[in-house]
Amino acid sequence: MESGSGNPRSSFSQSRRQKFPLNASTATHHRSKVSTFSQRVTPPPTTGNNSNASTSDFNDDDSSFGVLLGTCSYMCPERERIQREKLRDLAVFERLNGNPRKSSPVLAVKKFCRTISIKDVQASDMRPLNVLEDTLNYLLGLLDSKEHPFEVVHDFIFDRTRSIRQDLTMQNIVNKKAIYMYEGMVKFHVISHHKLWGSMGDPNIASTHHLNMEQLTKTLSSLFNLYEANRNSNDVHENEAEFHSLYVLLNLGSHSKPMGEPLSLWFSHVSTSILKSKEMRFARRIVRSFRMGNYIDFFHTVAAEASYLQYCIMEPYINEVRSLALSYINFGGYKLHPYPLFKLSKHLMIEESDLESFCHSCGLETCTDESGNKLLHTKQTTFSHPKGGFQKYSFLGLQDYER
Amino acid sequence: MAYLSMGEAHRRITEYLNRFSDAVSYQNGISLKSLFSLSSNSHFLLSLSDALILVNDFNRLINQNDNYSHFSDIISPLFRSLQHYKQSNFVEAYNAFEKTANAFVQEFRNWESAWALEAVYVVVYEIRVLAEKADRQLAAIGKSPEKLKGAGSLLMKVFGILAVKGAKRVGALYVTCQLFKIYFKLGTVNLCRSIIRSIETATTIFDFEEFPNRDKVTYMYYTGRLEVFNENFPSADYKLSYALKHCNQQHEANIRMILKYLIPVKLSIGILPNHRLLEKYNLLEYGNIVQALKRGDPRLLRSALQYHEDWFLRSGVYLVLEKVELQVYQRLVKKIYIIQKQRDPSRAHQVKLEVIVKALKWLEIDMDVDEVECIMAILIYKNLVKGYFAHKSKVAVLSKQDPFPKLNGKPVNS
Repeated sequence: MESGSGNPRSSFSQSRRQKFPLNASTATHHRSKVSTFSQRVTPPPTTGNNSNASTSDFNDDDSSFGVLLGTCSYMCPERERIQREKLRDLAVFERLNGNPRKSSPVLAVKKFCRTISIKDVQASDMRPLNVLEDTLNYLLGLLDSKEHPFEVVHDFIFDRTRSIRQDLTMQNIVNKKAIYMYEGMVKFHVISHHKLWGSMGDPNIASTHHLNMEQLTKTLSSLFNLYEANRNSNDVHENEAEFHSLYVLLNLGSHSKPMGEPLSLWFSHVSTSILKSKEMRFARRIVRSFRMGNYIDFFHTVAAEASYLQYCIMEPYINEVRSLALSYINFGGYKLHPYPLFKLSKHLMIEESDLESFCHSCGLETCTDESGNKLLHTKQTTFSHPKGGFQKYSFLGLQDYER
Repeated sequence: MAYLSMGEAHRRITEYLNRFSDAVSYQNGISLKSLFSLSSNSHFLLSLSDALILVNDFNRLINQNDNYSHFSDIISPLFRSLQHYKQSNFVEAYNAFEKTANAFVQEFRNWESAWALEAVYVVVYEIRVLAEKADRQLAAIGKSPEKLKGAGSLLMKVFGILAVKGAKRVGALYVTCQLFKIYFKLGTVNLCRSIIRSIETATTIFDFEEFPNRDKVTYMYYTGRLEVFNENFPSADYKLSYALKHCNQQHEANIRMILKYLIPVKLSIGILPNHRLLEKYNLLEYGNIVQALKRGDPRLLRSALQYHEDWFLRSGVYLVLEKVELQVYQRLVKKIYIIQKQRDPSRAHQVKLEVIVKALKWLEIDMDVDEVECIMAILIYKNLVKGYFAHKSKVAVLSKQDPFPKLNGKPVNS
C-alpha cells in the first residue's frame, strides 16, 4: 500500500475549497443502499419539504459541514473505545491480551455507524486525514494475518474501512490522498472477492461474498467520482486505467450487471485515453473472447496479461468459460474421435486431474484408452452447466501471482 | 436599443396580460402556447422583455386586475424569468421558469378538458432546454450542473398528471420523450424503465396508435436504443423499424439517427444494408463492416472496428458490431467450401482445419489450428455451421444439407 507515503504537502484546506458534484453523492454515501456510477447525478435526499428545493440549497449545507475538521488522533475516538469496552463490544483484533473488556488506543478502530447524523457529530469523533491514512494502513496490514480465519479478518476490515469512508465523506476530503485510500479499499474488496469465492459452498460466506460485492461496486464508483473530481484537463491518474478495467471485468456477462449499467452505455462516456490504455485493451479483449466463447483466446489472454486484481475479479468466469468449452466440444466433436483430456487441459489451463472431475461435475463421463490416456467422449446428452460450481480448480496461469 | 417610454412599457405588459387572460377564457391553446415560448425569440416576447427590464414593479400591474391576478403565480415568475433570459442569465431564468411551470401545471390539472395541452408541451420543452442552458453556465463557473436533473423531477410530476386522465393522456408520450432526452443526456437511462412501464400499462387500455405520430417515433427511437444497450435485438429491430417507417421522410437527420442504431441491429441478425443507403445517410462508418461480412474477411472487420473505434464506442454500438465476428467466420468457411466444391464436388464438405489456418494467414491473421478448431466448435454449437469436427484428423465435416444455415432475422444463438 502506498497510501501512507503520499506527498507531505497537506491538501486538506484545498479539499474544502473545492466544490464538486461529488460532494452531493458522497455525502449520501452511507445513506443510499445501492450506489451506481450514475450516483453522481442522483438527487440527494433534501431536507426541505418543498420537492423543488434545488440542490443548491443542499450544497450550502454541504459546505457548512465541510468545515468539520476532525481532531481525533487515535484510530478510535476515546469515548467510543471506553463505551465499547464497557459493552464488551470488541472485535478479536481489538482485545488487549485477549481480554474481551479491555482494549487500547493502538488496537481499537472506530466502528461503522449506520445512523449518523451530521448534526450530532463532534470534531473529537472524527479522524483527520493523516490518522485515517494510518488507520487504513494498519487495517490492510491485517489482511495477511494467518492467526484468524479469513472471514473473521474480512469482517473486521470490511466494517472499519466503511467507517473510514464515512469519516472521509463527512469531512469532505476528496483530494488525491483520498484517491489512494479508495484505491486501497477497492483492492481489499477485490482480493476478498477472490478469497471468499473459494468457500462459496458455505451459505454464510456466500452472503459475505454478496455484501463484499456490494461494497466493492460502491467503493469503485466513488473512486471513479474522485478521479473525475481531481481531474486537471485530460490527464489520467496513475492507476485509473486498471481500476476502470475492473469495472469492465465485473460486467463481463451480458446478464450480470452488478453496477447497474450495460457495458455499451458505460463505454460511451469513458474517456478515450482510458479506453485505449493497455489495461482497458486487455479487459476489452477479454470481453470479446468471453462473449464469443473463444476459450483459446480467453485463456491465452488471461495467462499472458492479467494483473492480480484483474484475475481476482475474473475468477468466477474462469470455470464458466471452461464449461462453455466443454459444451462446444461435446456438441460438435466427432463421436469416434474422443477428445484427449491432456490436450484440453492445456487449452483450459487446468490440471488434467482437475479437468476430469470438472467434466464429471458437468455431467460428462470420461474414459481411459489402452495406453492410459484420459479421454472425453463427445455427443454425450448428459451435459449440464455445473450448478453452484464454486469448487476451486487449479488455474495454471496463477503461479505468477502468488505472492 | 431604441428609447422605450414607461408608458409604452406598461402598454406592452398589459397587452401580454390581456392576451393571457383571453387565451384562458376562450380556451385558445395556440395563443396560450406562444406566451410561454421563451426560446422562440418571438418579436412579441422580445419586446415584452425590454419592457420588463424597465418596469420593476410589474407585480402591481398583474394584481390590479382580477383577470390577471388569478394567474399571478404563473405570470409573475414568468416575467422574472423573461428578465433574466433577456440578460442571458439562464440559471436564474430557469429557477423562475420552474415556478411558472409548477403553477401552470397545477392550474392545468384542475381544468376539465385538455384544451391547453399544446401549452403544456411548450412549457415542458422550455424547461428542458432552459435547464440545459443553465447547466452549461453552471459548469462554466465550476459549479455542479444540476438543473437538468431538477427538470427531470418536474417533468415526472407533469407525466403523473397527464398519464391518469382521459383526454389528457395523449400528452403523456410527449413528456415521456422529453424525459428520455434528459435521461440520455445525464447518463441515467435506467430511470427510463419506470416510465416505460407506465406507458406499457397505459397502452393496455389505450391504443398506442392514438398518440401523436411525432411522439410515437421519438418513443420508439429511444426505447429501441435501450434495447440495443441491453442487446435485445429482435425487440430493438421492431422498435427502430417502427420509428423508421413512421418517421417523416423529409427529416433526413432523424432518419440518420434511427439508421445509426438500426443498421448494427440488422447486421447482428444477418441483414446487410446496401451501399447506397450508407452513402445517402452519411453512415459510411459501417461500410467496411458490411464488406467484411460479405467477404468473410475477419481482418477487415478488425481494422474497420479499430478505425472508427471512438465513434462506435461513443454511440454504444461497438459491442454489437464486435459480435458479428462469428458471422464473418461463417462466411469465410463458406467461401472455402464453395471453392472446394468447384474443384471436387464429392469432397467439398470436408474442410481441413489447416486450410482455414492458411486462409487466415493469407489475411494476415495469425491463428493456430487449436483456435481454428475452437472457432469451428463455436460455429457448430451456435448453428452457423451444420456438421462436426474430428479432433484427431483435424477436419470439419459439413452437413450435405444446408451446411450454412441463414439467421433469417434471428440473432445468433447464445
